[in-house]
Amino acid sequence: MRVLPLYVVMGGWLSMPALAADAESWMARLAAAEQKQGFTGTFVYERNGSFSSHAVWQQVEEGQVQERLLQLDGAPAEVLLVDGQMQCATDDLAAQVREAQAWHGQRLDPKALSEWYEFREIGDSRVAGRPAVALAVVPKDQHRYGFELHLDQDTALPLKSLMLNEKGQLLERFQFTQFTAGSVSAEQLKPGADCNPVTVNRREANPTSPWRSDWLPSGFTLLDANERPSPASSETVSWLSYGDGLAKFSVFLEPLRGALVEDARSQMGPTVAVSKRISTADGDVMVTVVGEIPLGTAERVALSMRASSEQAQR
Amino acid sequence: MSREALHESLSAVMDNEADELELRRMLAGDNPELRATWSRYQLARAAMHKELIEPRLDIASAVSAALADEAAPVKAQRNGWKGLGRLAVAASVTVAVLAGVRLYNQNEVAGPQLAQQAPQPSISVPQTSQGPAVLAGYSEQTEAPAQAAADGAPVERWHEERLPSYVRQHAQQAAFGNGSESALPYARAASMEER
Repeated sequence: MRVLPLYVVMGGWLSMPALAADAESWMARLAAAEQKQGFTGTFVYERNGSFSSHAVWQQVEEGQVQERLLQLDGAPAEVLLVDGQMQCATDDLAAQVREAQAWHGQRLDPKALSEWYEFREIGDSRVAGRPAVALAVVPKDQHRYGFELHLDQDTALPLKSLMLNEKGQLLERFQFTQFTAGSVSAEQLKPGADCNPVTVNRREANPTSPWRSDWLPSGFTLLDANERPSPASSETVSWLSYGDGLAKFSVFLEPLRGALVEDARSQMGPTVAVSKRISTADGDVMVTVVGEIPLGTAERVALSMRASSEQAQR
Repeated sequence: MSREALHESLSAVMDNEADELELRRMLAGDNPELRATWSRYQLARAAMHKELIEPRLDIASAVSAALADEAAPVKAQRNGWKGLGRLAVAASVTVAVLAGVRLYNQNEVAGPQLAQQAPQPSISVPQTSQGPAVLAGYSEQTEAPAQAAADGAPVERWHEERLPSYVRQHAQQAAFGNGSESALPYARAASMEER
């Protein structure tokens, strides 16, 4: 005989808004739990064309969060984070990160998110041998994907996360197969020999760019921007990062200098990449939008990019 | 009560994820849209697991059609051919069923890839279609794109030289660049490094 948690019993006669409120309180618990709870576990990650398994150790001591992540199959990709700042990483895993924003504590803001997503409690579930509560995170418009989150009844940490597109197709799966709450020993937090020390410039986010977007899906704001050399030419690529608190996408702009290049698009599980040629006063530019957003949204963002100087002239 | 809601609850019950109270609550809910959405989610998930909640292809009618087509000639033929006729019916029924299942699965699996149109350059981040299919999803990232780049027009090469780098930059910046610590963006970034 299953023991019914109180909220399920209550759910029998309370109305739907009460269930939504329940889901919101779970989200609040999740937001609070992420930086408070030590744990160790293994999880799998699956998307179209990729399946991998990983181990994670997290320790919280005097408000400092230490997290070690290690891929268990294939190349042993590994990273050690202290308060979200990379301490060491295997070569390829962090090769693209040269600077990082300073840590500002809480990452998830359920209240702000509830403007763009609806939280619903679906019911009980069980993940990694632990009782869990399943929540639906349903987008309120077509510009972002939905999630199914399974939170640990005990710690409110996410044991399972499924990203679903507008047709309900599974785009990615993140799921613990083993999870133990509690403190982690210093030995377990010690990275392997291939985890090379990383020095990343810490700085505040710099949401200014010579580029701007004429249209953004509601809720998305410019989080950060910078300029980097192109991976394939001597041009400078402008990078802009946008997010709605849950979903994120990047915009890359590279001048074409007369090169004949067609538009392109590709999808890797949850991540879409759309390249569109746009015309500016300074010649054509290839805009590439990469992120966990629907294809149509990425295309619309790509076509809406403008040079900031053009606005100033008008 | 809509048919979909019934299916959804049925599947939840079948998955052992719902109890009677919950079932009653779900059926009593007043948000048909959410219910419909969730039902689609369930269906897609079931398809991922190759469990059919609701067979979309009308295999039953395909089978009856095959039987109807074959029935007449069978009657007209002499006794010696009867057995063969039945065999033919059985064979065409099997084909109908197999084809149906195949098509169904292909539709579901190909869904998320529809955006990736054939003539357009594909990104070199692992796709199962590249390289030998020994380890699904572990394509030889270093060789396949180089080969494709050599074969492809310069137009396509432009993207192939950049997209993998952009994708990795996006994933890594999301995982490690903004002071968050979460296993999910890390796993996404790691999945872009597989080779």
